[in-house]
Amino acid sequence: MPTLPRIRSVAEYYGPRSRWAAAVVLLVMAVLLGKLWHLQLVLGESYEEMSQKNRVRVVRLLPSRGRILDTTGRVLADNAPAFTLATVRADLEDPRQVVDVCGPLLGLAPEKMRKAVEQSSSVPRFLSYPLKRNLTLEEVSLVKSRTGGMKGLVLEVKSRRFYPLGQTLCHVIGILGEISAPELSRSSHMGYKSGDLLGKTGIEKQYEAYLKGVEGWEQIEIDAKGRQLSGKIAKQPESGADLMLTVDAALQQYIESIFIHRAGAVVVVDADNGHVLAMLSKPGFDLNLFSQAISRREWDELSRDPLHPFENRAIRGLYSPASTFKMVTAAAALAEHEVTEGHEFVCKGELELGGQVFRCWNRYGHGRVSLRKAIVESCDIYFYHLGLRLGVDRIARYASLFGLGRPTGLGLPQELPGLVPTSAWKLRTLGESWKDGETLNLAIGQGYLVATPIQIAMMTAAVANGGRLLKPSIVKRIQAGDGRILFDHAPVVQCTIPLSPEKMDLIKDALVGVVYDGKGTGRRCRITGIKVGGKTGTSQVIRHRQRTEEYTQVPYHERAHAIFVAYVDNLPKRIVVVVVVEHGGGGGKTAAPLARKIICKYYGLADPGEPEEVQESGSEH
Amino acid sequence: MSVFQSQMGRLSRVRFAWPMILMVLALSGIGLATIFSATAPLGQAGRTLVVKQMTWCGFGLVLMSVFLFFDYHGLERWAPWLYVAAVVLLIAAWGVGKVTAGSRRWLEIGFMRLQPSEFAKLAIVFMLARWLQAGPSGSGSALKELLVPAGLVVLPMVLVAIQPDLGTAGVIGLVAASMVVFGGVGRRAIAGGGAAIALALTLVFVARDWLLMEYQKKRLATYFNPDFDPLGAGYHIIQSQIAIGSGGAFGKGFLQGSQTQLMFLPVKHTDFIFSVLAEEWGFLGCLTVLALFTLLFMTGLAVARKARDPFGSLAAFGCTAMLFWHVTINVGMVTGLVPVVGVPLSFLSYGGSSILTSFMAVAVMVNVSMRRFS
Repeated sequence: MPTLPRIRSVAEYYGPRSRWAAAVVLLVMAVLLGKLWHLQLVLGESYEEMSQKNRVRVVRLLPSRGRILDTTGRVLADNAPAFTLATVRADLEDPRQVVDVCGPLLGLAPEKMRKAVEQSSSVPRFLSYPLKRNLTLEEVSLVKSRTGGMKGLVLEVKSRRFYPLGQTLCHVIGILGEISAPELSRSSHMGYKSGDLLGKTGIEKQYEAYLKGVEGWEQIEIDAKGRQLSGKIAKQPESGADLMLTVDAALQQYIESIFIHRAGAVVVVDADNGHVLAMLSKPGFDLNLFSQAISRREWDELSRDPLHPFENRAIRGLYSPASTFKMVTAAAALAEHEVTEGHEFVCKGELELGGQVFRCWNRYGHGRVSLRKAIVESCDIYFYHLGLRLGVDRIARYASLFGLGRPTGLGLPQELPGLVPTSAWKLRTLGESWKDGETLNLAIGQGYLVATPIQIAMMTAAVANGGRLLKPSIVKRIQAGDGRILFDHAPVVQCTIPLSPEKMDLIKDALVGVVYDGKGTGRRCRITGIKVGGKTGTSQVIRHRQRTEEYTQVPYHERAHAIFVAYVDNLPKRIVVVVVVEHGGGGGKTAAPLARKIICKYYGLADPGEPEEVQESGSEH
Repeated sequence: MSVFQSQMGRLSRVRFAWPMILMVLALSGIGLATIFSATAPLGQAGRTLVVKQMTWCGFGLVLMSVFLFFDYHGLERWAPWLYVAAVVLLIAAWGVGKVTAGSRRWLEIGFMRLQPSEFAKLAIVFMLARWLQAGPSGSGSALKELLVPAGLVVLPMVLVAIQPDLGTAGVIGLVAASMVVFGGVGRRAIAGGGAAIALALTLVFVARDWLLMEYQKKRLATYFNPDFDPLGAGYHIIQSQIAIGSGGAFGKGFLQGSQTQLMFLPVKHTDFIFSVLAEEWGFLGCLTVLALFTLLFMTGLAVARKARDPFGSLAAFGCTAMLFWHVTINVGMVTGLVPVVGVPLSFLSYGGSSILTSFMAVAVMVNVSMRRFS
């Protein structure tokens, strides 16, 4: 009869089994200890010897980072070797000799040198501790020849970034920096190790995955003296892909040389494919400062500068587009049939609305004003009337058709979207309903409306190319180390502005008038022989100021920003130039001549200089 | 059991628990010191790991203490639900898990990452204990009586194996087999089970090309000949053996292991923690740690022997077996006795899920021992 264990006591049933199990446990543990005995006590000495000799180390081979080139193939960011003299504590036999010999070679005071050698005990004794970074080539050869037999000294070669043009395009290219803890945990699967460099801003950041390359590894054997006996590359590193930008470095350098103002931005784009040909943000900084160890003082100077030299104003500077926005208001009014070519409004210099007086920049008034005259002479009253007819939300809709209020998608990190106000937006964020007076401000590009220079450039390009809003691009081609083309830019049309070609030509004709008419506000951009369209803008920084004051009498930070947009109409390659001079006063006066020089340089024309009949007028738009 | 009785019995119970708790504390302490040494070359990041491990140990102690207030028979009632939860978590890890080193074994829960396969081991132990407590009908279970428990084990095993985590799947299989044998099986069942396992292994061998990942095949090949690919898969074993062997009788001293500090050793604070210990503390250190583990297993088996009922006995035995197989496979792996499979060393290896599971296993042993008279 089968007996169930429930009837038997637990100890009776499981006792013997548990003793068997104990025997198994003891046996297995004995086997493990036997193996350890064999490894540690029998073979211990030979393994000890192996670990002494065993300097078969697996060393990472970092790939060389992809280069950044301009549109003509000129190198903007390259790699250069950087030498560091380091010491390994475990191998260091005579620290005094190191101090005595290396100090003078490197031009370091004995005190400093001794301190550095003492500091090396702060890292694990098998790891190297840097004594001096960025050795010059002479220092390298001196150290090599004089310290031949010295133990515990290593000359480490690392690749560092080198920017042949220094400050040129610093915001676009961006800087590299050591990987931070959060970045490390986010991207550990990509093979980054603590201490690695990666792109922190600009192209270097945005295209990190392309530029980085694939690391390899090498097995190196070192003898007891720390000398490398052999090296076997187990996996070759693959260098990163080269990036070719759309930017023309020569044009960029020319613009840098003529932009003498303290702060501002210049953007030059190709109106037909969206290529960014130049992008300047001022003030800037020298990229090479960051690829070597930047000194504390230099860093403080840059980061405390009230003009924020690290900001790329071309994609992050928010300015009221001011009168340059009038082309959008005009397009909206024409498309929505709120105005015709011949319709005229009377400008008496001011317009009263709801008890408030809205002025034209010309306090004496423009008289009877048609669309063309309104754009050419930048009459505010005319656009106030258009604004009242259109209303805020229709203007806002056309503003976003022209690409305002959202990032252009240029492919640089941290681009700002700007702002296109609507009545719903105001209710949502400020809790107030929209007022008609604010519509008047919006119609002339002031008030809540802000845009970045690149947005203003794409808006102008949409007019210049007949109504296509393009996505700007700054990278033309990405080519892998083995020659494969990974990316080749093709123009992307984001939307088409619903305006008939005849009406668009009306606006374009008026913009040409801005530059070529006698009373045009953009006369200083006049270039004979080609056809240039333009629009001035004066972006007010504070609300109201007495008009009679000379602009030089106003404190710098209260002066208006000068904006000028220009495009070339009748040449096969049509470019758009946007110039923003912060606190530069009138757009026609400060910004327009810069645009003229840039256009002349681009097409290889002689600069005709300022037209002679220009009279000084206090505050033109 | 009345409250009064529980008050009366408290003193003897707590006294009985102390040796096991002390052994666990000693092992975790050694583990923390070794992790500190192993991660020293990493600088600040290494210290963060030590602090994290300390937190997990503290959490484990709290969990253990709380668990002791409840009668372990709750586990018997809850075993099926724990089992279902474990299977669901394993499926979830497959679906939404985090991919680390090519395998999906992590589940992100708020601030922490959990490894469901670790907890699945415990759930399977409880489920098997519940199933096997009725005991075999004859002088030992016949083959057909083992079909249900076999199915219960194979489902989570397959889920773990496809993550892929062959090491943990292997541990689950070994723990389950140990428990079945402990519960009693007939000769024919042993023969049949052996035949089934042999058949399965043959099938795996034949179909290895599409069953095993590339790295697993390499590891198996390397096991049979470590010099086969000294820089690839064999690198781990060779460097680990050099580290252990060069430790000699008394070791190179704390923080002085050149293999460790020069970072020759891979994943040294997790799976290869024992190599670090062996290099810096020598045979003496290894002997101490293995003696502590052996004492813990012996105590666990004594608990299984003296338990009040079959469930308690089987649960205590299962938990002991789980720790035992972890130690055996891990130490066997780093010394080159078994292939590199990636099984952590209980209490010593870095890793929250492994620490919590190990503490819970000891908590079950203590719990069963505390209630053996009531």
